Amino acid sequence: MEIFNIALKATFIDNMVFAYFLGMCSFLAVSKKVSTAFGLGMAVIFVLTITVPVNWLLQEYVLKEGALAWLGEDFATVDLTFLQFIMFIAVIASMVQLVEMVIEKFSPALYGSLGIFLPLIAVNCAILGASLFMVQRDYTIGQATAYGFGSGFGWFLAIIALAAIREKLKYSNVPDGLKGLGITMLITGLMGLAFKSFIGIAL
Amino acid sequence: MQRSNTYIILFSVALTVILGGLLSLASVGLKPAQQKQIELDTKKKILGAVMDISSYNDPNAILALYDEKVESMIVDINGDEVTTDQKGNPVTAEKVDIQKNYRFPANERLFPVYKFKEDPSSDKVDAYIFPMFGAGLWDWISGYMALENDLNTIKGVAFDHKQETPGLGARITSEEVQSRFVGKKVFEGSELVSVSMVKGEGNAGLTEHQVDGMSGATLTGKGVNAMLQSYLGYYESYINKVKSGNGKVALN
Amino acid sequence: MSTETAEVKEKKPAEALFSKRRRRIVSDPLNEDNPITVQVLGICSALAITIKMEPTLVMSIAVIAVVVFSNLFISLIRDLIPGRVRIIVQLAVIATLVTLVSEVLKAYYFDMYKVLGAFVGLIITNCIVMGRLEAFAMANKPYDSILDGLGSGFGYAWIILVVAFFRELFGSGSIMNFKVFDAIGWESFPTNGLMVDSIGAFMVLGILIWVQRAKTGYVEH
Repeated sequence: MEIFNIALKATFIDNMVFAYFLGMCSFLAVSKKVSTAFGLGMAVIFVLTITVPVNWLLQEYVLKEGALAWLGEDFATVDLTFLQFIMFIAVIASMVQLVEMVIEKFSPALYGSLGIFLPLIAVNCAILGASLFMVQRDYTIGQATAYGFGSGFGWFLAIIALAAIREKLKYSNVPDGLKGLGITMLITGLMGLAFKSFIGIAL
Repeated sequence: MQRSNTYIILFSVALTVILGGLLSLASVGLKPAQQKQIELDTKKKILGAVMDISSYNDPNAILALYDEKVESMIVDINGDEVTTDQKGNPVTAEKVDIQKNYRFPANERLFPVYKFKEDPSSDKVDAYIFPMFGAGLWDWISGYMALENDLNTIKGVAFDHKQETPGLGARITSEEVQSRFVGKKVFEGSELVSVSMVKGEGNAGLTEHQVDGMSGATLTGKGVNAMLQSYLGYYESYINKVKSGNGKVALN
Repeated sequence: MSTETAEVKEKKPAEALFSKRRRRIVSDPLNEDNPITVQVLGICSALAITIKMEPTLVMSIAVIAVVVFSNLFISLIRDLIPGRVRIIVQLAVIATLVTLVSEVLKAYYFDMYKVLGAFVGLIITNCIVMGRLEAFAMANKPYDSILDGLGSGFGYAWIILVVAFFRELFGSGSIMNFKVFDAIGWESFPTNGLMVDSIGAFMVLGILIWVQRAKTGYVEH
């Protein structure tokens, strides 16, 4: 139940886009068509669900203070937290690569639709952000996985919704200076307002 | 330009060594300063529960003030003093991580107690400060509660929260809301009743166990209430021991 | 990613330290080619920390430092970097610099370190930094790269400071934690909760983009 709550909270209340502005670059750039937005969204869910628990293991058994205690008494006080950023980003970059290769080998059809988006994801702030928040919030591995999936799903919902609105927006008469980025920001704000209504729900 | 694999591997190794070395140097070099900052942060929060420290700008002045006026110890759920952590390593109160302890069952947790003395040379303790930890609406709330010498009247509270709704639940950290706790009582006779925030704001006719709530943040208030209730419960045996004035603990 | 991939022409003898071309490297990203409002980069971190001006200022300084030094460093070793692994090399350099910034903050500015939290780490994925490395530093000389870093860094900084100014003024009724409305005697100023919230950030930035584009005449199609 608790795990379900974490996923739900990450999807709707702590939405990566609306609450933390993460993954905005690709969110704005790849939200012009629903079909491409769908592909990127799926890829983000996929990568987040994998990288958050992997980074959790890394943090718990290698990086944090005293994490190396399993190597023996001598290592019990080693604190490698300063390598956190570089290790996390390395894990993300290599996981993305790995996922890409696995999909290519076993499901060429999926690769055809997801493939082009995967490299983009390594530099999507939402991926690194989820790992950093996971550390900050002191989750267990189950919670971390749920959190990874939930935030991915939240991001997916957000980009699909925005893409759908933008497809319709083509037929609207928007002031010149507001075209493109400006109106997209305002729409995102309004969508965020809608998502705020989930905040009072007690889980 | 294509380069051989050997070159790429050598390049990567060299880069790793340089960057890694740089990071380790920085980490080792900055460690003392960082630890001092963390220590200062904890001590500021502890002092903040009993007095206004915003006029102290010099970190060393705060540390000196703390060393002069605060004594610390750790008790367990039975109110007995302990000096080692769960693994048997020696530990001091300031180093106890309340958040980590929150994961242990209550009877294995360490409970730090900070005793504040206006006059360090006397035996009179002016305030007892208890750290606390609990769940808010969306994330954790932590805090310190200071009780007067009678171990009943609240002298002050200092709450910190991870992320509550800005302007609503997040107001729990504001001076204005925290000052509403001052002067309230946690015991009724010898029975622990704690204090609780009531629903809504601007309530009239509050008892000495009720604190005016924050409008729009009832759930955060509930989280605070639950935290105070449970942690005062954990400290109850210690408080009773001090009150009855017997046992090694009370003689400090 | 960017419009600016201009290879520098081979050595004209001793170009002035602040030649016209070099001034443009700095000034373009401030306005016409602004990384946030025109190139749509680095928005993630731009909004999350702009509730108040003080953390925003610290964040700006951190980003400027990272983009300038990573530009310099990559530019210095640009001929040594094997093409196939250049993305990971760039990421490694950025991650190292960001870690340094975060360690320094933790040691000397702990209050801010707590406020910014994970967002310092997220400078790594700030597309401005990656974008400048890929588009400029890989192909240009160190000194030009520093200028380019400064330009992009300040272009980023002034936008998020403006956003933070409005959000703090209307959301908390203060500027740099100074209660302006109390000072002018308007103590009952109704602060707007939306401004403190993420929604306010989207709105303010959207309007800011509008104003800026209306002025420069830039239209996106």
